[in-house]
Amino acid sequence: MQYHRLIPCLLLKHGLIVRSQSFSIHQIIGNPVSTIDRLSSWNVDELVLLDISREDRHDMRREDHFVRYDSASTLDLLRYIARACGMPLSFGGRIRTLEDFHQRIAAGADKCVINTEAYRRPDFIREAAETFGAQCVVVSIDVRRCEDGSAEVWIDGAREATGARPDDWAREAERLGAGEIFLNSIDRDGAGKGYDLALIRAVTDAVSIPVIACGGAGSYDDFPKAITEGGAAAAAAANIFHFRELSYPLAKESCVAAGVAMRPANVSGRWFPRDLPYDAAHEQGRIDARLKAAREGRYRAAEAPGAPPQMTWCRRCVYPLISATPMALDENGVCMGCRMAEIYNEIPEAEWKRREGLLYDILDQNRCRDGSRHDCVIPVSGGKDSYFQAHYVKNVLGFNPLLVTYYGNNYTEVGQRNLLRMKDALEVDHIIYQPSIGLLRKLNRLGLVAMGDMNWHNHVGIATVPMRTAIQHGIPVVVWGEHGYADICGQYSNDDYFEWTYRNRREHMARGFEWNYFVGMDGIAAQDMACYQYPSDAALMRTGLRGLYLSNYAHWDANRHIEIVRSKYGFEVSDEPFDRTYRTMSNLDDMHENGVHDYLKYIKFGYGRCTDHASKDIRAGVMSRGQAIELVRKHDHVKPRDLARWLDYVGMDEDTFDRICDTFRDPRVWRRIDSEWIKANLWD
Amino acid sequence: MLLILDTGTSNLQSVADGFRRAGSRPEIAVTPDAIARAAAIVLPGVGAFEKGMAALRAAGAAEPLARRVTADGVPLLGICLGMQLLADESEEHGTHRGLGLIPGCVVRLRPDQPGYRVPNFGWHDAAATGGNPLFDAAAGPQPFYFAHSYHFVSAAPADVAATIDYSGRKVAAAVARGNVFGLQFHPEKSQDAGLDVLARFIDHVRAQGRAV
Repeated sequence: MQYHRLIPCLLLKHGLIVRSQSFSIHQIIGNPVSTIDRLSSWNVDELVLLDISREDRHDMRREDHFVRYDSASTLDLLRYIARACGMPLSFGGRIRTLEDFHQRIAAGADKCVINTEAYRRPDFIREAAETFGAQCVVVSIDVRRCEDGSAEVWIDGAREATGARPDDWAREAERLGAGEIFLNSIDRDGAGKGYDLALIRAVTDAVSIPVIACGGAGSYDDFPKAITEGGAAAAAAANIFHFRELSYPLAKESCVAAGVAMRPANVSGRWFPRDLPYDAAHEQGRIDARLKAAREGRYRAAEAPGAPPQMTWCRRCVYPLISATPMALDENGVCMGCRMAEIYNEIPEAEWKRREGLLYDILDQNRCRDGSRHDCVIPVSGGKDSYFQAHYVKNVLGFNPLLVTYYGNNYTEVGQRNLLRMKDALEVDHIIYQPSIGLLRKLNRLGLVAMGDMNWHNHVGIATVPMRTAIQHGIPVVVWGEHGYADICGQYSNDDYFEWTYRNRREHMARGFEWNYFVGMDGIAAQDMACYQYPSDAALMRTGLRGLYLSNYAHWDANRHIEIVRSKYGFEVSDEPFDRTYRTMSNLDDMHENGVHDYLKYIKFGYGRCTDHASKDIRAGVMSRGQAIELVRKHDHVKPRDLARWLDYVGMDEDTFDRICDTFRDPRVWRRIDSEWIKANLWD
Repeated sequence: MLLILDTGTSNLQSVADGFRRAGSRPEIAVTPDAIARAAAIVLPGVGAFEKGMAALRAAGAAEPLARRVTADGVPLLGICLGMQLLADESEEHGTHRGLGLIPGCVVRLRPDQPGYRVPNFGWHDAAATGGNPLFDAAAGPQPFYFAHSYHFVSAAPADVAATIDYSGRKVAAAVARGNVFGLQFHPEKSQDAGLDVLARFIDHVRAQGRAV
């Protein structure tokens, strides 16, 4: 049996995966390693990795992530990620010489993808094929439709027109020795409107080498058409694989169901397990080294010479480019958070009505029909968003949700009252999972040392317990509120309908530290960590579990929600402002989230919760940038009052805490001058 | 010691990573000294036949390799081009002599049925012929990743260990003769099915009391 291939294509820009639209708008999805781990465990057919950076520039080192690579070179990055890559890997981007070929193959690529240089110097194809074999040479062709509908080859990342027809150029590339064509449509890039099937057919008819079709897949139903109608040997896509859990296995299922011969995907690979083992001795060594550095006062940021580095902030809000979130600026210096908020806020009421219908339909399809379970799970902390989610699902849409809470033991008094009131005020069932305090103390302390975040347990607990509960109860839908990074830094576009994924949980909430990282430390056993163990892919597949974000279907406006939940359900806000932000309505469920946890963000990156809140309020049109800067200046650096409780809770003294924190200061932000930590500021 | 021969152009790290994952600790080298110490040898390779042979000869590896395998019974596993190099000769860009460890010649894929393209990229189910330690024939055909334009035509049908259906013909996916094995596909890139093959190779070598 000969199989057709389904190929995820990852676009790398400055070392991170981006979502691309029209070859020009790039939103950062995240670190390539966590995505490639995921694809390996699904046994994907092949991977195409295209580095679209114009130059080598990626200082990706973050002390607080498990994945650290410390080089600005694309080759080092390729070497690093090739180790996680269990499938055939094609690598493209700035390949201009035979030496470039050689280096990339030595670094872990199986095939090289060439585009601009091949067009400008066609003999390059012949030289490469003679040296490395045709099977190593993939010629990539980017095509734009002209106004009269004719197709034209563009090069240099869609910057330069050539006047050439794609079928002619493909034929010539084959004659010169290309082993494969990677065909991409510029107009369809990121549009999700389906492949340009006529273009694919024109090129597949012109050559006898295999053609990989890319550009435009908007639903899993598009893939089979590229093969059956377009004649492609393989269907490829980039963005669509980022939006949903089990995207690749589900896309494969859809192709097989459409009658295309494809190798079945795997959701329980034996050689590439999803939850990777850690090298316990190595990790304990890393922790010991950090504690030693803290004791001796050796800080990476202090060792860098000179004045603090220049910083870049969004020109519209107050968000810095070096941040805890995947932040990107457009060509005008405006952040993707502002850009996406602008588009989001202009979505008309009729469109929200349509989206409400989409959500209703998904919930209705998954509604319990025999009385054996609830209709969906809503993860709740008892905060304003929790109330709004429960209100919307139960009282606007008319479903019966099961509320699930991970109780991190950091509630404020007001937050605790709000949490316990939900079952009464909303008349819903509510499960509260409370881990042992002894375990929480250990995880708080270990989290601080391992990743500079004592709240690992809380983020991972919140991200795991509701999903486990849904699986245990056979409930196929979980309704989350908003997607934090989509909101803060415009990670996705509004038409992506992005859903909850394990990758996002692992990379952004757990920072690459899975539950098993802590097993064996401080006497913690695997069983102690059960509530942080995410359901297996096989279990997710069996239940068909989806995690939806309500913000994709209902207009998300925190300032409006608070009025609804106060007036309808008696939601209490705090009368006491937090010391690190001016908002009083946020994070009542966790006194440390705005406090110690957020203070660590300031220590690492030089900004804090006030920057988050002020940026959101600027985007919502309720605050000027000048006001925001004053508030940031007042709050971002404040050492919070709740620190005393936390130190007492875990048994640590303040000096030890400060020293451990200082090992996490990012050298891209901080310098130490005359025993003072200094950085560039917005108001300088 | 499991030796991966460094033939210059191929993606050696992937092969080494595959063996590491499958439970061995390979060494990458091409010197006669390393060949003399090896308990088992892997010959990977991509690219043209002639260049692969030239690289082995230039390193002074071709002759010691053949001697270790034939005189000392050291197990040898050729992968992709490395498998083709085991043959007597190849017709790729002229006629070129190979290592001659498994009788046969290497010829170009010439599909005459629609839907088959050259190079043959992608996944095929390969059916084991049985009685070979690298495959579990009882498990039925398994999918492996192929990337080749030429294929191995074995002089002795009994040396063919697994085949794929390609354009209405059986094309060798694996060959084996005594302690010499060849895989046309890339086991290191074939995920679960491929790593199973590497693990079986390691088991087979260890079963002979050779430490890898």
